Amino acid sequence: MSDLADALPSVEALAAQLAETGYLADEGLATALFCAVRLPQPLLLEGEAGVGKTEAAKTLAAVLDTPLIRLQCYEGIDAAEALYEWNYPRQLLGIRVAEAEGRTLAEDDLFTEDYLVGRPLLDALRHPGPRPAVLLIDEVDRADDEFEAMLFELLGEASVTVPELGTIRATVPPIVILTSNRTRDLHDALKRRCLYHWIDYPALERAVAIVRRRTDGGSESLATQVARAVTRLRTLELQKPPGIAEAINWTLACQLLGLDVLDEAGAARTIGSVLKYREDAEVAADRGLGWVVGEG
Amino acid sequence: MIPTPVSDVDLAEVAGRFGFLLHAAGIPVSPERSGRFADAVALAVPAGLDGLYWLARVTLLSDHGQVAVFDRVFQQVFGGLVDLADHRGDRPEDPPPVHTRPGERRPGGDQDEHTRSASARPSPVPMTGRGDDDGPEQETILAAVSADERLRERDFASLDAAELRHLRRMLAELRFAPPPRRVRRTRRDRRGRRIDRRATLARAHRTAGEPVVTVRRRHRIRPRRLVLICDISGSMEPYARAYLQLLHAAVGATRAEAFVFATRLTRLTRSLQLRSPDQALRQAGRAAPDWSGGTRIAPAIAEFLDRYGRRGLARGAVVVIVSDGWEHGDPAELGEQMARLARLAHRVVWINPRAASPRFAPLVGGMAAAMPHIDAFVSGHSVAALDEVIDAIHA
Repeated sequence: MSDLADALPSVEALAAQLAETGYLADEGLATALFCAVRLPQPLLLEGEAGVGKTEAAKTLAAVLDTPLIRLQCYEGIDAAEALYEWNYPRQLLGIRVAEAEGRTLAEDDLFTEDYLVGRPLLDALRHPGPRPAVLLIDEVDRADDEFEAMLFELLGEASVTVPELGTIRATVPPIVILTSNRTRDLHDALKRRCLYHWIDYPALERAVAIVRRRTDGGSESLATQVARAVTRLRTLELQKPPGIAEAINWTLACQLLGLDVLDEAGAARTIGSVLKYREDAEVAADRGLGWVVGEG
Repeated sequence: MIPTPVSDVDLAEVAGRFGFLLHAAGIPVSPERSGRFADAVALAVPAGLDGLYWLARVTLLSDHGQVAVFDRVFQQVFGGLVDLADHRGDRPEDPPPVHTRPGERRPGGDQDEHTRSASARPSPVPMTGRGDDDGPEQETILAAVSADERLRERDFASLDAAELRHLRRMLAELRFAPPPRRVRRTRRDRRGRRIDRRATLARAHRTAGEPVVTVRRRHRIRPRRLVLICDISGSMEPYARAYLQLLHAAVGATRAEAFVFATRLTRLTRSLQLRSPDQALRQAGRAAPDWSGGTRIAPAIAEFLDRYGRRGLARGAVVVIVSDGWEHGDPAELGEQMARLARLAHRVVWINPRAASPRFAPLVGGMAAAMPHIDAFVSGHSVAALDEVIDAIHA
């Protein structure tokens, strides 16, 4: 832990290191990540889609120079997919080999760590260190209540219990980051164990800076134009207001097409990288793409 | 900006008191979280108010909806160099009392239709259909039948407070049964398609490693999600309390999701899980204070879809809308939003208590625009009529 304290002495130091790695976090997010690493405590990140929740965890892992272990949640995900599974073919083989050699095999011999196949959660606990791994449990709201309950032991005690083996404790407790899109309310018991941070859409200057950082070599004027256009689009009544991810994609699309300036014609060609609903594209067209790119 | 350097005051006490104030303002801050806040302050040693703000927000809150209240309390405590003790017990203002005015009474005439509807309960006594025609000779007859039977046929708008309390018990017995769907979880089943390798191998140990018996699994079947969205604007006011109880019953029985709207949409699922329908209704009134204002249904549906439905809440679900369909906005817009909803949902049911009237015809305005996107249109204005609703949800 002292190693971590040296690496991350303060919130500002973390923010600076994140920026170096290419992620511009505001003070709120930097504080949240700092607390997650140093307290340590699992962190629940919420925010609109495309606001950089997953990216935050990836960058944190890069800053700490530790592996990022990612678990994408989905409906019906269970222990065999998230935690561990037994290596059945190998167990069968073990039985055959024992037979051939004339040994008798107790059941316990088949349920040892040798036969255990780690899934992301177990991998995160088994990470040898010295620094903790970053465990990203992505879109936890897609999993069901039963899965949430399964996470409690991991989040609270940094351990998991395998019935055949007993409790496996983390060598170095991982830094846990959960993300949610709020498709349903998470259980209070889960929230109680976590820090919480809501990532907002960034202010214009920050958005420009992020777009420039993520589309390396992009001209400042194009990044500024795109960020402004996205900010304008966000004032319209859209079904899915574009996020920072869309702004980055839009800039990349413009660069690919060799556009140095985002004009009305260029916007018409590339609008599909920002607005993903036909209705939204119509709303933008009604307001005028000239207005969107700041010509009107 | 901070009155005294952080190190000079007892951190635990400040954190504890601040947590207490937040708790009083309605944010459930546990001592555990306050402790976490104190630890974080000691660890990060914030230089300014901003740093302190973020440490507090990250450690003490658990939901985006709490941010506004948190900001206010934080501003009060740390913003104006105010002594913590002066502000103890700060509470959000009490909501204005909500009265349910007995609605206009509607002549019967729809009774035949509802005695027809299939029901597991004892069939209603024919006389009771016009129980609200308060004539003295009728009351003597009514006294003979049970309270349940008397209430069964009554229009929700005509119930008084005691009857509403009784209604709650009757609604609790409703059996909501949304149609099933296959989920990804599996259960053991002899004729299942997938082989359960773990269990098969466990059996194989008994037969010298030879998997003689294969254990199989198949996907589990679960009822679809039920989502109820109830209009509590002025024109629906006579019905609001009864339907709130319906929402309460549905949330309790099938883990349904409940929303209400007048001028804006409010998610009531959690308050209905925790509180009585009356308390939840008051809360909804606080969130949507415009009880007598006009209904704007389309924006409410749009808000539901944007904030919840599209993200997954409405996908494959049975969505029930309770509203009289008196749209003050553009009917075409309602049609558009209903089309979006219909594309997401498995089934859309519309309960319109005004449809019980023989003069009602959904020919104009919002209701007409919504009709093409609705799978079932029912009146659901009395307990007896709710049988139709149950059927419509199940279909």
